[in-house]
Amino acid sequence: MNQKTLMKVCSVALVVYVLLAVAFYFICGDQLKFRDNTTDMLSANGVIGEITSDVVLSQKIDLSGDRLIGLTLYGATYERQNTGILRVELYSDDKLIALSDVDVSGLADNALFYVPFNMEDISGVKTAELRISAPEGVSGNAVTLYVGNTYQAAHNQIDAGLGVDDLLLINGVASDIALCMSINTRDILSLGTYYWQIAFGFALILAVYFAWILRRYKQGKGSMFLNVIDAFYRYKYLIKQLVARDFKAKYKRSVLGILWSFLNPLLTMTVQYIVFSTLFKSDIPNFALYLLSGIVCFNFFNEATTMALSSIVGNASLITKVYVPKYIYPLTRVVSSTVNLLLALIPLFVVMILTGSPFTFSLLLVPLCVICLFAVALGIGLFLSSAMVFFRDTQFLWGVVSMLWMYATPIFYPESIIPEKFMTLYKCNPLYHIIRFLRIVLMDGLSPEPKAYLLMIIISFVPLIIGSVVFKKTQDRFVLNI
Amino acid sequence: MVIQANNISMCYRMTYDRVQSIKEYLVQLVKGNIKYEEFWALRDVSFEVRSGEVLGIIGHNGAGKSTLLKVISGILKPTAGSISVSGTVVPMLELGSGFDFDLTGRENIFLNGAILGYSEEFLNDKYDEIVEFSELGNFIDVPLRNYSSGMVMRLAFSVATVVNPDILIVDEILAVGDAEFQEKSKKRMLELMGGGTTVLFVSHSIEQIREMCDQVLWLDHGQAKMLGETRIVCDAYEGV
Repeated sequence: MNQKTLMKVCSVALVVYVLLAVAFYFICGDQLKFRDNTTDMLSANGVIGEITSDVVLSQKIDLSGDRLIGLTLYGATYERQNTGILRVELYSDDKLIALSDVDVSGLADNALFYVPFNMEDISGVKTAELRISAPEGVSGNAVTLYVGNTYQAAHNQIDAGLGVDDLLLINGVASDIALCMSINTRDILSLGTYYWQIAFGFALILAVYFAWILRRYKQGKGSMFLNVIDAFYRYKYLIKQLVARDFKAKYKRSVLGILWSFLNPLLTMTVQYIVFSTLFKSDIPNFALYLLSGIVCFNFFNEATTMALSSIVGNASLITKVYVPKYIYPLTRVVSSTVNLLLALIPLFVVMILTGSPFTFSLLLVPLCVICLFAVALGIGLFLSSAMVFFRDTQFLWGVVSMLWMYATPIFYPESIIPEKFMTLYKCNPLYHIIRFLRIVLMDGLSPEPKAYLLMIIISFVPLIIGSVVFKKTQDRFVLNI
Repeated sequence: MVIQANNISMCYRMTYDRVQSIKEYLVQLVKGNIKYEEFWALRDVSFEVRSGEVLGIIGHNGAGKSTLLKVISGILKPTAGSISVSGTVVPMLELGSGFDFDLTGRENIFLNGAILGYSEEFLNDKYDEIVEFSELGNFIDVPLRNYSSGMVMRLAFSVATVVNPDILIVDEILAVGDAEFQEKSKKRMLELMGGGTTVLFVSHSIEQIREMCDQVLWLDHGQAKMLGETRIVCDAYEGV
């Protein structure tokens, strides 16, 4: 390791950082600057009758967010072409904060009526009073709106639990129902506002860190970064060879060979797709892609950790004869599984094409998911491989734990069926965050909100840190126990 | 100083039945059956080796010679004491570590070479030399499972001895294969050891030790009984 290589590595790292920071800004696009929220709509139970000029509907609504985008109502036109306008007003403390007139002639029967607003600032407003009227409405030339008091949850209707304040008032008289509507609001995110400042700050920190390393290097002192780079240069060829061996050994003497890397996830998906879309009716849109993205991630996790688990014990003959840093063994197993994962992404893209999913620049975020998956699998792999040395029961225990883990990850069931009380548990599961992130990228073609990035990255690297510490502390005793 | 060992001690904790499951461990613990017997394979061994020097290590079976070599090559971490080794170490302890019998000879050369710490360029350069020395010819593209044991050893020897390491660790001069190849491999070994590299050499043959070494370490039950000039130590050893 000479100074030239070190400087090259540092400058490449800086350039890569700058490129990533710029690319990230454009990939994320609007998701970096704001987040749009849409509230759930009640299920329609009935209509309130024609909204004529002598009817005023009013209802208290809760507002969250910084800007008001619009309102969606569910209405009907009595199968005729009506004229006039529907006036939608929002009052806060009897002060008009938003107003929108919708031309009812453009409305279809039994359809959603979209009421646009002009991004009014509602950052300080928690509740507001919604008033709907039709100044020109006369009987025979007016529309109506749907009302209800239940929510749709899977295949059941659950009571919305409307309080006295939530109910619809018709001409000031309280009813026992509420309007079917959803509110679109927008949160302005400070990360987007200060993105370049934050990115520049990190670049500065990085530059200072590299300068410090270079100075230490000149003084002849080492640093963690230096050791990592050094080990990478020294052992990259060994890792390459061991990964190649894993692959050759895995598919040796099988007729289809590497094709199994594509076929395996596809076949698993097909089986589960048939089971879950016919036996248990699933109402997830694009279920095939939903399922496959979960399966690909979990299969990788399962394969990588199971292979890493036996990596130290299985290589006992090598470990007792040649000195190679011991982390190389679990690391190569995880790397070979990652190669497998990259191959499994190909059928995923094929399914995306077949189901007509959007291909956008946000697909460039898939590598981030792969990196996080890698970190989780490596961390847990390191932990398991060292636990396996001291207690051989680990392998059987892990079989059960990984099965539990599979059910604790929304792979084939929708997130919406997770009970609220278990949500904290799910939030601790790195796979939950990664799969959720991947699905937003693949199925919606969008970049997730900044909080999703943060959660995914932090929760993925926690196992890596724990695994590395445990491995480092125990590795000297491996030889004596295998 | 290429190798500097200060008061190295290596202790094995031996249980009579190796407990390898949690249940077994708990049962034994409750019964009060967990007994360890400490076994000191090495105790307070100190020595230093200068660049280009050949250090011979002698002693009876179980004296700790192999343990010492493993400590120096980094496989074992000493229980106490410190060791500093500067330079690349090639241990010739057991040949063919990491051979995969489903891969071809060619693939195994690169795999085994990588495990021994050779770089990619080095292996590409020396590939022809390795094949030629092993005399495997066309068998090089055949999976190892179809090799005879002699052929495997020849390949392993050829890969292991192609290097020019800073420090070479030799546990007995290896002579593998048929008589002709044995002669050839012995010559290669002596060439390597005499080529100016630092060598740690374990042997039961006092003849070879006398011939090769600059200084000799005599281990007895894990302790350094004598360290010094070849002639003096060997005479004392043979006098016992």
